[in-house]
Amino acid sequence: MQKSDLDNANPTIFDVSQLPSRSQKKRSVRQGPDSKYDSILFPKHAWPWAGSKTTSTWPSDEEDDDGDDLRDDNFVEEPIDQQEIYDLISTISDPEHPHTLGQLNVVRLPDIHLSPSPAERSDPKCLSTVLVELTPTINHCSLATVIGLAVRARLEQALPPSYRVDVRMKDGSHAQDDQVNKQLADKERVAAALENDTLRGILEKMLETCA
Amino acid sequence: MATFKDWALQYVLADEEPVQRELAQKAAREIESSRASSTVVGNWAASIQQWLTTAHAKDSDQMDEGEDGGSGDIIARAKALGFLADTLQALDKNMLRADQVVRLAGFFGAMFSYDHKAGITASAKALRQLYSMKNFKPDVGVQMVDAVLMIKEDFRLQTPVTRLEIYELFLGLFQDQAVSSLLQHKYGSSQGFIVDLLRLCQNERDPRNLLVWFKILGVLLADYAPSADVTEEIFKTFSAYFPISLKSSATPIGITAEDLKSAVRACFAAHQRVAPLAFPYLMQKLDQGDAVTVAVKVDILRTIKACLDEYDHPQNSVVPFVEKIWNSLKYEVRNGEVKETIDATLDVLRAIANKLDGTKSQKLDVSLLKSYIDIVFKDCRDDLSNPTYTKQAGLLLMTVITANIRAYTLESGGFVECIRQNLRQPKSPSHTRDLLLLLNSALKSRLDLVRNRKEGHPEDEELLRTEPRAHLDALFHEVYLPIWVKKANEPDADTVDVLKKVTQGLALLVSQRVLQPDGALSLLCSGTTCSEICSLLTQSLIKGLALSSNDNITDDTVLEDEAVLALRTVVMSYTDGYIEIASRAKAEIQKRQWSNPSRYSLNALKDLLSRLAFIGCSEIPSRVSVEGKSQKTLSALQHLVTLIATLLNIFPLSSPSGSARFADHSARESSLANAHVISALHGGMLHFRDACASRYQKEVLVAYSGSDRSWIEEFSGLPFNWLQQLQGPDGLRDETIELLREDDPEVYRQYLRLGLFTVRYIYRKAASGSQTLWNERILAQVANITALVVRALDEKLQITCDLAHEAFRFFHAGDGSLEQKPTKPLTELLTLGILEGLRPGALADLYIPGGAAEAFLCNTADLGPFPSRASEIRAAIGAILVNKYKGGPSTCDPESQTIKKVLGFWANQIKVATSSVDIDINTFEAYNSIAMYIFAGAIARQDKSVVQEAVPVLHEAIASGHHNGELVARSMGILVKDNNLLSEENHAVVKRLYKQWAYSQLVRPLYKLALPTGKEADVWATNRYTAAILAVVSNCPFKVYEEDVEVLTRLLIATLGGNRITAGLSKQAARMQVASALEILVQILANEPESLKGHLKAVIGGAMNVHQEASLDTREVDESSFKYTIKPTGAGADLYAVSCRKLTLQLLGLIPSKFEERHLLPYALQLKRMLATASGDPVREVRKVALLARGGWAKVG
Repeated sequence: MQKSDLDNANPTIFDVSQLPSRSQKKRSVRQGPDSKYDSILFPKHAWPWAGSKTTSTWPSDEEDDDGDDLRDDNFVEEPIDQQEIYDLISTISDPEHPHTLGQLNVVRLPDIHLSPSPAERSDPKCLSTVLVELTPTINHCSLATVIGLAVRARLEQALPPSYRVDVRMKDGSHAQDDQVNKQLADKERVAAALENDTLRGILEKMLETCA
Repeated sequence: MATFKDWALQYVLADEEPVQRELAQKAAREIESSRASSTVVGNWAASIQQWLTTAHAKDSDQMDEGEDGGSGDIIARAKALGFLADTLQALDKNMLRADQVVRLAGFFGAMFSYDHKAGITASAKALRQLYSMKNFKPDVGVQMVDAVLMIKEDFRLQTPVTRLEIYELFLGLFQDQAVSSLLQHKYGSSQGFIVDLLRLCQNERDPRNLLVWFKILGVLLADYAPSADVTEEIFKTFSAYFPISLKSSATPIGITAEDLKSAVRACFAAHQRVAPLAFPYLMQKLDQGDAVTVAVKVDILRTIKACLDEYDHPQNSVVPFVEKIWNSLKYEVRNGEVKETIDATLDVLRAIANKLDGTKSQKLDVSLLKSYIDIVFKDCRDDLSNPTYTKQAGLLLMTVITANIRAYTLESGGFVECIRQNLRQPKSPSHTRDLLLLLNSALKSRLDLVRNRKEGHPEDEELLRTEPRAHLDALFHEVYLPIWVKKANEPDADTVDVLKKVTQGLALLVSQRVLQPDGALSLLCSGTTCSEICSLLTQSLIKGLALSSNDNITDDTVLEDEAVLALRTVVMSYTDGYIEIASRAKAEIQKRQWSNPSRYSLNALKDLLSRLAFIGCSEIPSRVSVEGKSQKTLSALQHLVTLIATLLNIFPLSSPSGSARFADHSARESSLANAHVISALHGGMLHFRDACASRYQKEVLVAYSGSDRSWIEEFSGLPFNWLQQLQGPDGLRDETIELLREDDPEVYRQYLRLGLFTVRYIYRKAASGSQTLWNERILAQVANITALVVRALDEKLQITCDLAHEAFRFFHAGDGSLEQKPTKPLTELLTLGILEGLRPGALADLYIPGGAAEAFLCNTADLGPFPSRASEIRAAIGAILVNKYKGGPSTCDPESQTIKKVLGFWANQIKVATSSVDIDINTFEAYNSIAMYIFAGAIARQDKSVVQEAVPVLHEAIASGHHNGELVARSMGILVKDNNLLSEENHAVVKRLYKQWAYSQLVRPLYKLALPTGKEADVWATNRYTAAILAVVSNCPFKVYEEDVEVLTRLLIATLGGNRITAGLSKQAARMQVASALEILVQILANEPESLKGHLKAVIGGAMNVHQEASLDTREVDESSFKYTIKPTGAGADLYAVSCRKLTLQLLGLIPSKFEERHLLPYALQLKRMLATASGDPVREVRKVALLARGGWAKVG
């Protein structure tokens, strides 16, 4: 694509460290010049020689009632939440710029809606809907449909079948949002679009940056 | 005659160099054997007559006509001359007489006039050989020069190799003192031959030749005193090549562009007589503006610097150009953006300052340097008040002022004053920051100048002694402190930057040394100022404790971290500071109640103590005196002593009441506070060890040899609170500790001695103290400290201190206080701490048959209620004791019976428990774990008694009908599991291939037993065998079981199989087995996927099955099966189910990358469906793995 063809030549770009992420929510551990030996000096478990998994007979005393930081975080049951959806789609590359949708603020955490909400969701098998509202960088963006399609494709590839995916333009963010929304909601047209080799090539390129 | 002629003919006809060389050598030997008699040499020279005569005849006919005919003759003639040249090369250099040399030189020299086509190559070579003859006379050299110059325009028609010969000849001749003086005498100051030479060589392009040519030019410039005109000619010749570059060529010649650049540079810098030409020329090149690329610019700047460095008589060669250079260069920095050019420019400016200062042996008049600095100062002063240029202007000024000591003493006062003025009215916070940065760098440079003062002129040191210091003295109170006070209460990003710079500046200020009139160094700041700075910085340190959690909102610890680093620097110079910091911290901590602290205060305490340890112990302090305050006599260990004494003093922060249950929240929190104190002690020891390691070479630490005296005995003569006394007012004057300078490696020994004393002190308290205070966390930390110290002692010292026995009596020998109280189970951690660090040799005494080790290892009493930590500690100690054992003749255990007995004892325990007696499952679990660890200790050492005593019993126990057999099978993994107790660092005896050995003894015999037999009755046993195999294999690296992959795969597939029969195994055990199987499959798939190719269907099917089972609601799992295995923690999450799901997905995700698509297609659809569902897993970590697997399979089909 020629440079002059860009819909928006100068979008605002956010630094990756400013984007919402899960690690920000966790209390960070202080890392000072004196922290070199923290893992030895303040071990998670008083007993450093914890036996093999077959014989570590009793849960260590610290773990009984000691908040979140001592338990093995990795294996805690957590439902899919907005942040997780955000992490899935914010790394998609923009078709015009060498930046991700997160950096361009096309995808925003507050514009991701889950119903039922993660807190209410008791049975993992029940049907849920994800609604993602996109905000194009300018309101006449011609690539809005492509971006919407990419978001849709990514979510369909990554979410379990019990999730219904709905991608729309945020109200008023696009001059022709009704039309774009209609296209994105039309299953036939989406399916047809995905058959198109050129379009598939663009989408694959966009999804390359998704880890 | 005939021989020479034959050889010449053969030479001319030969095509190969070795043959030619051989012929030349023959001729040379012939000449040598005749001692170079005139006849022989004459014959030799005449041997090529036939080619020359025809040549002359033809040449006169043909050359004029310019025909190409007779090229065969030319080749033959060239070869014939080559014969002579080669002979000269092979000839003994002492052989030819002077007259022969003259005659030959005349002959070959004539070729340059007559035979440009054939004669030059060989003649050039021959002349070089003649030049190296012993009887070569200088006047022949002059003749040679004249003769060679006769070639004129035809020179450039010669091949590069020939030209190189000639260049080398010239270089040799010109560098020859005798030839050089004759040449100068002959040609006088006009040096006519140089002009001819320049004309001859002016078109040279070959890089290799250029290198020599530039060298010749350098020699001519430096040694031949050419007249101004000739100098200009020479300058024109080499400057025409500047800036030189090299085209990249397909056949590299081993010369880089950089070589050429420095060769040209050397011409510029060859002699100051080109200065009037060089500087204007280079300046003009530089001032071309944007037309100059960065690389060229850097080349120019480096060339200028080379000139400045090399020219003598700077008054004439440099001074006239200084102002011009400065005016050209200042904009490179002021408005420059490219780091390379800025650095190169600053190098030039620094070089000017150094040139104008003089050399190490001779100083120049001070006015030269002063006027240069004045020019710079005048131009930069105004820029300092302009925020846009502050940094650049400062950089220029700093570079010039701190170039040498004289420049510094001349102008630093003015510079600091200027910055001070600007700091009073800063234009913006970033302006303040930049100014502070400049001030700090000035201080930093001063440190370097003072440190390297001996390297310069002796006058420099004198200058430093009388250096005006008023501007430095005032820095703290008039610059840093006011900014600090003004900014400390405005928390924003700019302020943080400014405060950071202030903090760094304060540290640099305290580190400043001044030279006293008597030559001694002392600190610049007075004791009071140092103390004030210390206390200012300490504020940030104790802020966490002093403020409440609501007031201390900022998470950002940048400033505190900066203060920590600054304080560390401060106390390295101002050593009294550490006592001040420590006592302030101590007071602050003791102000508080620690019986029920909040989490916030606990963290604040932890941070404070950890930082305190880092500040004092991460570097070794140096000895300097402070003006106006006498620092206490200093030992390099002073801060460590202060830290240990302070920490031991505040420990315990609170004594948990005896009745408090451990689970009680407040008791636990307060115990955590106490643990932080011990952690800080440990941290201090670790930091100090690192400081020693970086200060003295590592070898000193390793090769250090202990004294013969027992430190423990020495300690018993010292008061109990020795450390506290050391820290007291008379402190380290105590003769019980040597005063050591910071550079004495003995410091490390003293550190270990102090460490051992501390350990002894704590052990004596802990062994008799209450169990609520000395809880597991604290004791484990103490054990770590002990291991750190003990590990570093050498074997001899470990033996003289009798540490092996102290491990069981906790340094209480003789005073009888310990015997009254029974040892508590947890105090065995103290035993562990010592044993962990001991070397095998130091333990030998314990292994007397019936001795301490045997008694301890075969003791099953006092294990308390099960399951308990005590049994794990005992297992750990058991592993160490068994591992470090050495039996056999000349040891305490000549029959090697002790360990055999121990192994037999535990094997018997297992045998009994799995055959007849119905032992309580908890008790057996404890016994089993001790036994396994003890066996593991022996296996790491590849002790054969394991094979005799333990292996048969284990195999039998696994298959026994007893339900305890299952536990034995499952825990076999311990035998080969990596264990940090058995590490090289801890002096454990770990054989390199022990896992292979253990595998072949333990597992290999089981394979044929584990395979299904089809008989119902055997299922029980085969299941147990499989469990044992998988437990061991999952703890081995792939290489170990590589050979048995095939049979192993069958077991793995059976384990994953849908209709698993779990006879002989509890449900939970069966699932753990599945997890192990998955782990092993992942390993096999990663290392040798081919072996699984035939089993793909079974593996994928099995994995999907497992996943499906593990996805069932975990709460459906039979709770009773958790009776003696890990209990699920968290919100009902069954860790095994989760890890099974994760592992299956990992396994399935790996498959697509390892096999071709055609093998995968049949399963793709089914798997994609399954993975889609799996990406909705309740656990996030599993979802991530599922997503990856999904991505891998999406590409299939």
